[in-house]
Amino acid sequence: MPDPVLQVEDLCVSFTSGGVTADVVRDLSVSLDGGRTLAVVGESGSGKTITGRAIMRLLPRGASARGRIVVAGREMLSADERELRRARGFDVAMVFQDSMSALSPYLDVGAHIAQAVRLHNPSVTRRAARARAVEMLDRVGIPEPADAVRRFPHEFSGGMRQRAMIAMALVNRPALLIADEPTTALDVTVQAQILALLRELQREYGMAMLLISHDFGVVGSAADDVLVLYAGRQAEYGSLRDIFDQPAHPYTAGLRAATPRLDARLHTGGERTRLRAIPGAPTSLRDAGPGCAFAPRCGLADQVGERCVVEAPLPTVRPTSEGGGLHLAACHLDRLPAPQEVAR
Amino acid sequence: MSEPILEMTDVSKRYRTAGGFGRRRKGFLAVDGVSLHVERGEALGLVGESGSGKSTLARMANGLVVPTSGTVRTDGQDVAGLSRRGLRRLRRNVAMVFQDPLASLNPRQTVRQTLENVFRAHGETTSTAELVALLESVGLGADYLGRYPHEASGGQLQRVAVARALALKPDLIIADEPTSALDVSVRAQILNLLADLQRDQGISFLHVSHDLAVIRLYSDRVAVMQRGRIVETGPSDEIFRSPQHPCTRALVEATPEAELPA
Repeated sequence: MPDPVLQVEDLCVSFTSGGVTADVVRDLSVSLDGGRTLAVVGESGSGKTITGRAIMRLLPRGASARGRIVVAGREMLSADERELRRARGFDVAMVFQDSMSALSPYLDVGAHIAQAVRLHNPSVTRRAARARAVEMLDRVGIPEPADAVRRFPHEFSGGMRQRAMIAMALVNRPALLIADEPTTALDVTVQAQILALLRELQREYGMAMLLISHDFGVVGSAADDVLVLYAGRQAEYGSLRDIFDQPAHPYTAGLRAATPRLDARLHTGGERTRLRAIPGAPTSLRDAGPGCAFAPRCGLADQVGERCVVEAPLPTVRPTSEGGGLHLAACHLDRLPAPQEVAR
Repeated sequence: MSEPILEMTDVSKRYRTAGGFGRRRKGFLAVDGVSLHVERGEALGLVGESGSGKSTLARMANGLVVPTSGTVRTDGQDVAGLSRRGLRRLRRNVAMVFQDPLASLNPRQTVRQTLENVFRAHGETTSTAELVALLESVGLGADYLGRYPHEASGGQLQRVAVARALALKPDLIIADEPTSALDVSVRAQILNLLADLQRDQGISFLHVSHDLAVIRLYSDRVAVMQRGRIVETGPSDEIFRSPQHPCTRALVEATPEAELPA
């Protein structure tokens, strides 16, 4: 079996400010094969964006990462600037949520893509790089690419800018694409188009994709495997099927129950259907005590007792459905009760 | 049957756009001849893509945006003919909750000041007990009175924004994407809170959202907007079970479900 494209082992990311160091991501381990999509799901403070940036070594000032990150055989955390330049855009590329701030307002769209080409292949002529940009714009579904290549980011709609950013990220055929909330700023119809495009290009290029999202809808339509983060720690990992059909962490189950669905019945027995909300607000690792960070919001913590408060649960193996791969959950409960038993 | 709380008839809004040398100013027609009403006690959901005119339409309901043509009646009263004082009275009755609570609350005022100002603006005084009761009605404790916006989370702030909207006991609340900036687990809390207010206090809602699943669950009736017009309207259950207009159908089909593909 080939090595995974992405391997993360015991990743910890910490911020230092005013002499105080605090972890924002702790003990994260995950691996991802070529051609597969791993969705990283979480809320504010979960560490999902920081994890994506750690893989690119694009951490903000004051942040440092420990552990091990291997992308396409390259050790990212020990790489020097030269190696990083080689890796970024070539082994691993990134697509951001806000295309307006990710693209330079002074450069036309073609220049963005041509620059990415020439950065990694200095022998390519300007003209050839420009031609490659047109090709790439065509590939991501931008109409009249020969004309569009001369346009500036502000002349594009949000969906078109997102396509241009995808063209720029994929022009060197990276082994891994990190997409951080790539469709969050878009209308639903455009979102569906962009997700379909990403899937198609992924199949064509055989690349691995790390899809960072807060939206279970997007995850359900794009992911093979799902990693659920809560307060900087791994809450649950598993195949999409296992995460949706037999979640083993109360937070995963809670998030799903709190997500409104189009096919939901409006009324049940005269009462309007309500979402099952998770009480409280998401926390970050900094505010968490020694126990499980989710415990204060967890409706099942009293079934376990004090252990939830004093001891952070480690990910342990959970049952999988047929053909399912690894399924891990970090919870002291061996098994979640059926949804109707979780009544509050 | 009593009069609708909100009735808009053939309402249009044209925004002026910058004209260039030798170019005629055409303006941008954000809302184009829309008629819509909200019954008392009803929650009407307004959906559409960005730029479809839903926020402009919602803002015309309480006079924040003045229509270019058409009439808006709230509580039977024509909004267009209102004086400043009349508008002020109108806004006691029609409150608003915005998308981003951090942007819609004054960062230099405590929650107490924010709430007190609502009463003061309408020439009323209030007691601490009243403010505490107000906060409790949105699920916040009395300790929030002394807090500044940066000392609370997004969900808590949106509760404060709802409390501010509730302060003068309005008949209609216009909620423009009230949960779009919130975390998934918190979004459900706020949606349930709004639904409770509708059920327990009989408050009517005009709920603007781009999220069909949210509208589906929390609206009695739905109006779908596209390019400044309402293209389809009907009971929530029907609209989503059998969308008729191509625009509605496209929206329903494009909405990703948190479900396994069949």
